[in-house]
Amino acid sequence: MYSEHPVYLEDKLEEIRDSGRLRYRSKSMPTWCPGCGYYSMTEGVTWALNETGVRNEDVVIVSGIGCASRFPFFMKTYGFHTLHGRTLPVATGIKLANDKLTVIVVGGDGDGFAIGGGHIPHVARRNVDITYLLFDNGIYGLTKGQVSPTSAIGFTTPTSPFENHDQPLNPLMMLLSYGASWVGQAYAGQPDHLAEMIRAAIAHRGFSYLHILSPCVTFDKTDLTYHNLDLSVQDLPEDHDQTDRLAAIREATKVDRRSVGLYYVEERPTLSDSLDEIVVRAGGKAAQQAGAG
Amino acid sequence: MHRVIIGNGIAGSHAAAVLRERDPGSQITIISAGALLFYNRYELPDVFRGRCDWVDYLVYPPDYYQDNNIKLRRKSLVTEVNTGKRTLTLAHRELVSYDQLLVATGGSAYVPERLLDSIPLMHNFNNFRVAMTVRNALPDGGVVIMLGGDAMGLDLARTLIKTRHKVILIAGDRTFWPHGITLEDRPRYLRGLEKMHLQVIDEKQVDRIEQSNGKGPARRVVFSDGSDISGDVVMPFYGLTPSVDFMSHAGIDIERGILVDPQLQTTRNDIWAAGDVCQIWSPEHNAYRFYYGWKNVKMMGDVAARNMTGDDVSFTTTVDEALQIKADGTIYSPFWEHD
Amino acid sequence: MTSIHTDVQIGICGSAGDGTIAVGDILKRAMARAGYRVIAFDEYPAEIRGFGKCVARTRITTEPVYSMKSETDILVSLNDAHAIPHVAEVRDFGAVVYDLAPISMVDEGWHISGHLNPGQLPYGLAMREMSEQATGSSRSRNMVALGFIAGLYQLPRPAFIDAIVAKFQTKAAAVTESNVAAFNAGYDNGAGTYRFDKVEVGPPARRTRLQDSTMMTGNAAVVRGCLDAGIETFFGYPITPATSIMERLSVEMPKHGARLLQTEDEISAISATIGAGFAGARAATATSGPGFALMSEMMGLGVMAEVPAVVFVSQRGGPSTGMPTKTEQSDLNIAVFGGHGDARRIVLAPTNVEGCWRCAGRAFEMAEAYQTPVVVLLDLYLSNRYETVAFPKKNPFLRDMCKKPARDKGDATYRRFELTVDGVSPRAIPGEAHGIHTATGLEHNEFGRPNDLSDMHFQMTEKRHEKLNAALKHPDITIYKRFGDSGEVEVGLLAWGSTFGEALEAMLLARDEGIRCAAMKVVMLSPLPVKPIKRFLKDCKEVIVPELNYEGQFANLVSGTLGRSVIRLNRVTGKPMAVAEILDAIRSAAGKRKLRKSVA
Repeated sequence: MYSEHPVYLEDKLEEIRDSGRLRYRSKSMPTWCPGCGYYSMTEGVTWALNETGVRNEDVVIVSGIGCASRFPFFMKTYGFHTLHGRTLPVATGIKLANDKLTVIVVGGDGDGFAIGGGHIPHVARRNVDITYLLFDNGIYGLTKGQVSPTSAIGFTTPTSPFENHDQPLNPLMMLLSYGASWVGQAYAGQPDHLAEMIRAAIAHRGFSYLHILSPCVTFDKTDLTYHNLDLSVQDLPEDHDQTDRLAAIREATKVDRRSVGLYYVEERPTLSDSLDEIVVRAGGKAAQQAGAG
Repeated sequence: MHRVIIGNGIAGSHAAAVLRERDPGSQITIISAGALLFYNRYELPDVFRGRCDWVDYLVYPPDYYQDNNIKLRRKSLVTEVNTGKRTLTLAHRELVSYDQLLVATGGSAYVPERLLDSIPLMHNFNNFRVAMTVRNALPDGGVVIMLGGDAMGLDLARTLIKTRHKVILIAGDRTFWPHGITLEDRPRYLRGLEKMHLQVIDEKQVDRIEQSNGKGPARRVVFSDGSDISGDVVMPFYGLTPSVDFMSHAGIDIERGILVDPQLQTTRNDIWAAGDVCQIWSPEHNAYRFYYGWKNVKMMGDVAARNMTGDDVSFTTTVDEALQIKADGTIYSPFWEHD
Repeated sequence: MTSIHTDVQIGICGSAGDGTIAVGDILKRAMARAGYRVIAFDEYPAEIRGFGKCVARTRITTEPVYSMKSETDILVSLNDAHAIPHVAEVRDFGAVVYDLAPISMVDEGWHISGHLNPGQLPYGLAMREMSEQATGSSRSRNMVALGFIAGLYQLPRPAFIDAIVAKFQTKAAAVTESNVAAFNAGYDNGAGTYRFDKVEVGPPARRTRLQDSTMMTGNAAVVRGCLDAGIETFFGYPITPATSIMERLSVEMPKHGARLLQTEDEISAISATIGAGFAGARAATATSGPGFALMSEMMGLGVMAEVPAVVFVSQRGGPSTGMPTKTEQSDLNIAVFGGHGDARRIVLAPTNVEGCWRCAGRAFEMAEAYQTPVVVLLDLYLSNRYETVAFPKKNPFLRDMCKKPARDKGDATYRRFELTVDGVSPRAIPGEAHGIHTATGLEHNEFGRPNDLSDMHFQMTEKRHEKLNAALKHPDITIYKRFGDSGEVEVGLLAWGSTFGEALEAMLLARDEGIRCAAMKVVMLSPLPVKPIKRFLKDCKEVIVPELNYEGQFANLVSGTLGRSVIRLNRVTGKPMAVAEILDAIRSAAGKRKLRKSVA
């Protein structure tokens, strides 16, 4: 966008500093490719945390392996860069150890739905109070462009030179059927909406799953590009009932529409609530009460 | 070839040894109602001399059975023999098959019918366990009332007296059994017993036995004339009854004992009998008769085992069965002798 | 009579459903209640349904003992087909108790009475009939049999009645009544039975001292150690023989406000444990070989990111699914070396039930103090066997052992992985304002930022290794101990884990035979207490390393570290090693020396 008035770097930096959005940023410079959707996500997370006003030391960002793995290093919060596919159980452990922490898991489609796919149903059904930001670019970026579980049929990569023949997963449908209590989708090409969705996901008490569509600008020149996504991404219908799981699943089946927004939300006891109830039944002192006291 | 011996006394055990010697490859099983290995019952009076460990009475050490490949099945009571199928039924509901069978179950203490109700108040002496029971029931210098007084009882009486106990013998027609004593000779022999320091009560019939209440000896023997005597234990020694009940449907000839020919074969050619359980045909007496004592019984085990393994020998006795009176007036029975 | 040193081992063998383990349980609890020392180990079938074999073995003593005996004094058969192979375990003049009235006719050879060795004493008992008479049902045969041996050996009846009442307290009163009735019927019969065997049970010794002792399994002791150490989270996945740790913790942890979660797999269990450890909780998981293999990668993250965590590994027969209900010591390698990279960790292997408690408690201290995963290596035999244990009145386990960063320093200067003299860096946990950092599985610098420069990798690798040496001096835990003759000995036994008990018994027997010998137990397998082991080996003319694996994994560790050849005594039978086998090895090692001497 072209402006008639010149923008001076010094003014812009001051504006950013004043906005408080650097409060959650570390001094490390991100290492993603220029144009990568992770920049929108970083921006979204810092904005959302700023909105919540949570203390830096009460936030833990958990990453696995992939382009998201360095995410915690760019944040001025606690971070745990763990193993490929194991973010969700590690985050579960962190949350159960200290309910006061805001735990955010970041990861890609390979980390989440290939190697780590077995953990998702369980964290969803248990309703662990963490936020899972899944960054789906349909490709393995960090290892230089191999096929992923969400790659389209016909997608050609170094490990699928004769085209991908495997049906891509539908993560939204999976999460909805696993019993996740908050399921939404956003698009890195719409950073303001993305930031708002991240805020809402963090604010949700329970397991929130935000599916983020984002192009891999380096290794995917044909499929999930900004151009193609700009054409297909649209808002959920205005009359969509966010409390109707079946309606949400119906929307999730419309893969060509790529609707963004909140598909489904429900309020139900979290895993910590259930464990505290067990403690009370056993005659012990519950952690959340103990913590509050 | 599976040879099964029922009975773990002198006859059965000796037969097993001879069978093993004559046929090293065959399978031998001894079936015994008792819990112990073969031991010397003749030495049981020694419990009064302080020999109270059953191991000291063993004729063979435990290894003997393994070394000689003789299977000894203890605590196993034979309840039935099916001679058609050649199987035995054990009380614990197990079937055992045999090719040849030797019955050597011996006998149990005979008790006259009028005293059957008193059995719980009397003590036996025919195995180690009951011998120990008598020992434990009898205080130092205690009184044993012996009923009948067969040769085994008199043997025990000798030891009891030597170990400073008192023995009161209620004599009757089974006294000195199995020795046949004429009425004419009887007083002499009874005097012999008195010489041996037994107190003899003769010509009195026991009516019943009672548990005495309160202090003093534990038992009271009441005679038919109303008089009574007291003692610590009452022991019946009226001779033996052959243990043949389990053979009653086996289809072999039984009178009081199992009837066998001089080769100790029964009326079936795969079953033999030896020891106190059998009556042997004696051409000399023209009758079936019993032979008693360690020597005779051992000989029977030997003869049976030989004939089971193809020999053809007849049982003959070398024992002079007469009850002797020694120079000092005391008596001596050849049936007291043992190896 | 008080001078009798009671040492009686009772084996009860039956089919699943006969109540074998149940009466074994009552026996050991009653005897412990009566003031005896008890060691017990049960054998279960792998199958839950069907008619698999169960053997409940209990060793009852007045003096301290360290293992099960290889010979049984009294065998009770509740199922002859299962018990017949165990008759050979009964010693000469020992007793065999069996049912004299089986339900149906059996063919020749299928009744146990036909299988007794001549030296063993038979006790036939009409268990089924007696049970029916006493309770109207044949189901209490097991209680009749238990009562019989209790009566036969004049064991204290009230202790048994108490144990039976306690066992069935959650059931209807009629259940307790019929079990007591069956027990009493058996007891009276036993008391009236003449005993030919040579098994003697004297009165309990030093009764007063043992009164506050408890009887428990190795796994139960682990649980008590966890609770005493203040465990806060446990994540686990069921696997034999570790499951009972999780089951017991499920009941106990909520009482203390602590949290337990059954995860979807072992990877998740260790991941959550490391997550909770990172967040500052005293966290643990428990597993067996197959699960531990799955945990290897995450163990490496724990080492790299210097996260405290405690992992209980109860070994069973391997590899792969192996023999889930049989014991083995073949996971030493994976415990000490498992996983990729230079990933040294602390490995503790207790040798008895009391040690399970102590190692469990100290493992939490060590994990926190040295910022590392700690493996507590058990085995099925140790996990499942019962021992009477006396715990100290005061809980000895320390809290808050984490080295904290200085509060006055700002974030910019906080170095989570600071290179210090002892290698232990100040550690902040999420929620603490002064120590914000990111932990990572990547090689990193002192601030925790990814860094793969040569010097940095060397310094950090060295730090992660050398900091663990402090564990060798960790207070109030025996990480090695020598028993037997001091100074030079003919034969030395070097043993670890549950097999040490058998080794110690064998060594004591060998000393009785006049062989100069000693035994050393090694509890800390990593880092290995090299110096004391070296001193011990120097004293031994011959060294035997008995262990339940094929390759001699501990022998490899020791001879590889110390360059000393040892005599390997390896068994993979799925059963504890027989004391007699170790004794034979000692004799032949001692004999070999003598032979060499006489030739020279």
